[in-house]
Amino acid sequence: MEFVKFCILALSIYTLFESTHGSIGGYINPADRNKFIQILQKSLDIDGSDLTPYYYAAKARSILNSPYEPQQVTDYCNNIKSKFQYQSIENSFYVYSAWKLLGCRGQIHTTEAVKAIQSAIENPKAAIPDIRYGLEILVIVGQQVSNPAKIAQTIQTKLKEDDSLSNLGHALHAGYLLGDSGKFVSSRVEDIIVQADEVDGKLLQWEGGLTTTSLLLTGLLRAPGSAPLTASQSDKFANYLLTRKTVQTPKGVLGLVEAANALQHSTVPPVSVSIKGIPQVSPEKGDLVFQITSIFGVPLKVPPKPIQVESVTKLSDNSVVVSNQALKQGGSSIDYVLPLKLDPGLYKVVISAGPNTADFAVRALGSLAIKSLEIGLSDTDGSAATKLTKLPYRNKLEKPLQADSSQNLIVKFSLSRPVHQAFLRLHSVAKEIIFVAEQDSSKVYLVEVNLEKELSESGNFEMELLLGDALITNPIRWNLGKIEVSLGAIAGKEAPRVARGPKREIEHLFRPAEKRPPEVVSVFFTALTASPFLILLILWAKIGINFENFTAISLPFHLGFGGILGLFTLFWLRLDMFVTCAWLVPIGGFTFFSGHKLLSHLARSRKQEKSDK
Amino acid sequence: MKLIILLCSFFAASLAQGPTLVLLDNQVIKETHSIFFKSLQDRGYTLTFKIADDASLVLSRYGEYLYKNLIIFAPSVEEFGGSLNVDAITQFVDDGGNVLVAGSSETGDVLRELASECGFEVDEEGAFVIDHHGFSVDDNGQHTKLVVSSDNLIDAPVIVGPKKGVAPLLYQGTGILTDVENPLVLPLLTADSTAYSFNPDQPIKEYPHAVGRDTVLIAGIQARNNARVVFSGSLSFFSDEFFTSSVERAQGGLSAKKSGNEDVSTAVTQWVFKEHGQLRVRSVKHHKEGEKDAPNDYTIMENVVYTIEIDILEKGQWKPFTATDVQLEFVRIDPFVRTTLKRKPAGQYEARFTIPDVYGVYQFKVDYDRVGYTRLFSTTQVSVRPLQHTQYERFITSAYPYYTGAFSMMIGVFIFSFVFLHLKEDEKKPKGD
Repeated sequence: MEFVKFCILALSIYTLFESTHGSIGGYINPADRNKFIQILQKSLDIDGSDLTPYYYAAKARSILNSPYEPQQVTDYCNNIKSKFQYQSIENSFYVYSAWKLLGCRGQIHTTEAVKAIQSAIENPKAAIPDIRYGLEILVIVGQQVSNPAKIAQTIQTKLKEDDSLSNLGHALHAGYLLGDSGKFVSSRVEDIIVQADEVDGKLLQWEGGLTTTSLLLTGLLRAPGSAPLTASQSDKFANYLLTRKTVQTPKGVLGLVEAANALQHSTVPPVSVSIKGIPQVSPEKGDLVFQITSIFGVPLKVPPKPIQVESVTKLSDNSVVVSNQALKQGGSSIDYVLPLKLDPGLYKVVISAGPNTADFAVRALGSLAIKSLEIGLSDTDGSAATKLTKLPYRNKLEKPLQADSSQNLIVKFSLSRPVHQAFLRLHSVAKEIIFVAEQDSSKVYLVEVNLEKELSESGNFEMELLLGDALITNPIRWNLGKIEVSLGAIAGKEAPRVARGPKREIEHLFRPAEKRPPEVVSVFFTALTASPFLILLILWAKIGINFENFTAISLPFHLGFGGILGLFTLFWLRLDMFVTCAWLVPIGGFTFFSGHKLLSHLARSRKQEKSDK
Repeated sequence: MKLIILLCSFFAASLAQGPTLVLLDNQVIKETHSIFFKSLQDRGYTLTFKIADDASLVLSRYGEYLYKNLIIFAPSVEEFGGSLNVDAITQFVDDGGNVLVAGSSETGDVLRELASECGFEVDEEGAFVIDHHGFSVDDNGQHTKLVVSSDNLIDAPVIVGPKKGVAPLLYQGTGILTDVENPLVLPLLTADSTAYSFNPDQPIKEYPHAVGRDTVLIAGIQARNNARVVFSGSLSFFSDEFFTSSVERAQGGLSAKKSGNEDVSTAVTQWVFKEHGQLRVRSVKHHKEGEKDAPNDYTIMENVVYTIEIDILEKGQWKPFTATDVQLEFVRIDPFVRTTLKRKPAGQYEARFTIPDVYGVYQFKVDYDRVGYTRLFSTTQVSVRPLQHTQYERFITSAYPYYTGAFSMMIGVFIFSFVFLHLKEDEKKPKGD
């Protein structure tokens, strides 16, 4: 009983989903298409030996419906012909396909090559991708597969060894090409779809990115009439493909285009319901244009009917403004116009196109007007009455406000509608301080700035009112004028130290030389010092002296004594003490003995003199 | 054989820009940001893509880091998988690894924590940088897709490339607050005065976290060990869509055919992964003027010549670095001399100066710390001794009286000894009267 209930419930939910399934919000627009074609073209312009870009370009452009000029085709065919060399089955497939897609005349394959490929794919050791490409080649050259059952067997064995997503993808393609013998792959379909990863509940993709996803999607949807995907899965895959529109490689472009094409031709082609441009209406531009297209941006084959607005709801109070209104056909076959006249606010617009529904958040914009603004200074302690100046919009204060630390700056204003951003900005060249206006109960915005607390230093500031909101068309920047703040002597804050950059240069200040007396003074005192000696000589000359007692015996002593004095002079000029002492010892000894001898000689001669007397 | 291949590939990788771990929220990011990743791969990075909560995440094995760089493009991750956590990443940075993180308005707690470890504060969940005056024409209506002028980039070509001629940038994401007191943090891209960071769906009841020019959009830090971290509040900044789309401000003013995001993001990744702005000292020489080799010690007031060669890494090659603001300090606790080095044509920098008249142990110090460059720090210790007693000035004029005194005394004694010993007294005047 319970089970039956559950089934009924599940069924009803299912039908609900079936009847109103979603849609995708975008499509491959002409700009994307041009970009794709450019990427494809660029890869061909590179003159390389790789011929695969020809396949990517030819295939993708055939899907995008953008054929080449006959001249280009001839060039490309010649190029392929001259460069083609057998490399692998996969490579041959690309070249043969490109040949066929471009419509080149003549044939590029040789019977031997085809035979070789045929025998290669029948080899039980052949890899699945090779089998798939081999089969594709046989289709291109119009040959029958000689032993489909055997090949199917090989694929199954290989899948048992390695059922990676890419192998499965190639198996799907091969299975289709094998016809009845390839039916076995249908058992894997469910398993493959389960393996797809869902991202944020919006996207579906297989691990491995665009290439794998494309391979699997094209494989799953290759057989006409097969319906492996539900409509919501199809939408999610389509959404994933649309996120990948920025793809940059020719291979990626082909993957995307191929997969999108496969989805479009499936039993559940995704329907794109999107808003042209930005989802907002303003008094100047009151039309919302919806586009209902296939994933390639072309009108749907079977246009869904009816196309109408189910509802337009204001989100702030959940009131329905418009309901069940048909959309008018717009300028082109995919455009549907909804004229709207709405109060500013956020709205939810639900569109239905046949069984597909889509909801959009739409903004209705309006313009903002400043009703009044007052600006002035008040005392912090409230002692003096506050004097506010009314300022009409776009005017500036005539005189700068003069404020000190005991005052508050007050700006009061009222607006035609509440806004998100109501800031007062005080700025000088290097500094910027922003204050947030608060709305009081009477919807008046008020900024009250305690200058002493909020500003760290005195200065002249420009005042600017910044008003902005997502729902207004005219954000306002209004220069209110100047304010000169003098906070008096606040303990000077340290200037922020410069952490980087060149530092101030330092030169060392050398100690100045000591002051010396002038040269004249030195010379004078030199003379003065020398004078006693000179006086001695003069006096001696006056009284008359003689050396009559001089004998040769005294010569060694005087030489020695002179030597000692000379040594002292040398010591002053260049010798050090050790050398001096070393010399002094022998000279001194010599002088000692010779002096002794001299004195004893003198004493003896004196005695003699006395005795002579 | 396998081992050899492994070794070869390892060396190949280490020769290139180095292995890089990329953490993603989901595989789709790899494709939506393909231009960004491709440009890294083209520049020689080996990228390893992992989902951020992958249970097999490891940064290091057996104490060796497996990666040199880490990219976290997983804004909404709540907890990393495997052995990765904020501590491990902080340790990675401490050990010299470079990290590039992109958040969004849904930045998860773990990234918030990581940001605060680096000195940034990411705004609350759900907050966007909003600019009602500078949003893009294709904004979805909340005025969160901003067109930011390239003038708002930091004034450091080494980090963000040349500012001139760069097209306006597209940005959509959350705001970052940086600590102005932290000298290591660099605001790479800031918002305009009219911008603020707040939840667009909630009325502003309290002061927003970041307002005006204080709102940092992309913040960077170069740690003291020269490891670099860049935190962007916008993951879309690096996306293919923002790289390739045209820009135009809805309120008029800025427009360009192609946004400057690709140029700036290339420059920023080149900086954060240390392709740019790496300096090293190649050689340091110093000697007395007129000599060739460094002496054992200097004497005060000698003229000295100091030469340093500085290299910069450019495209994997060390080349001579050109700058006009390299300074040399001659330091004994405090700098005694600070002079700007002159660049010689051959590439080395030279300074000539006279050693101060104070003796002691000094250092030649070059501390080149500029925004965006690795910190260059080179010290060479030398001793400076006082004059020897033989090195003082001789024959001072003022001392001539002393010299004369001494010599007149010496000569006097010498002569007096002659006179005293050899004088023959007159007979007339008998001695002893």
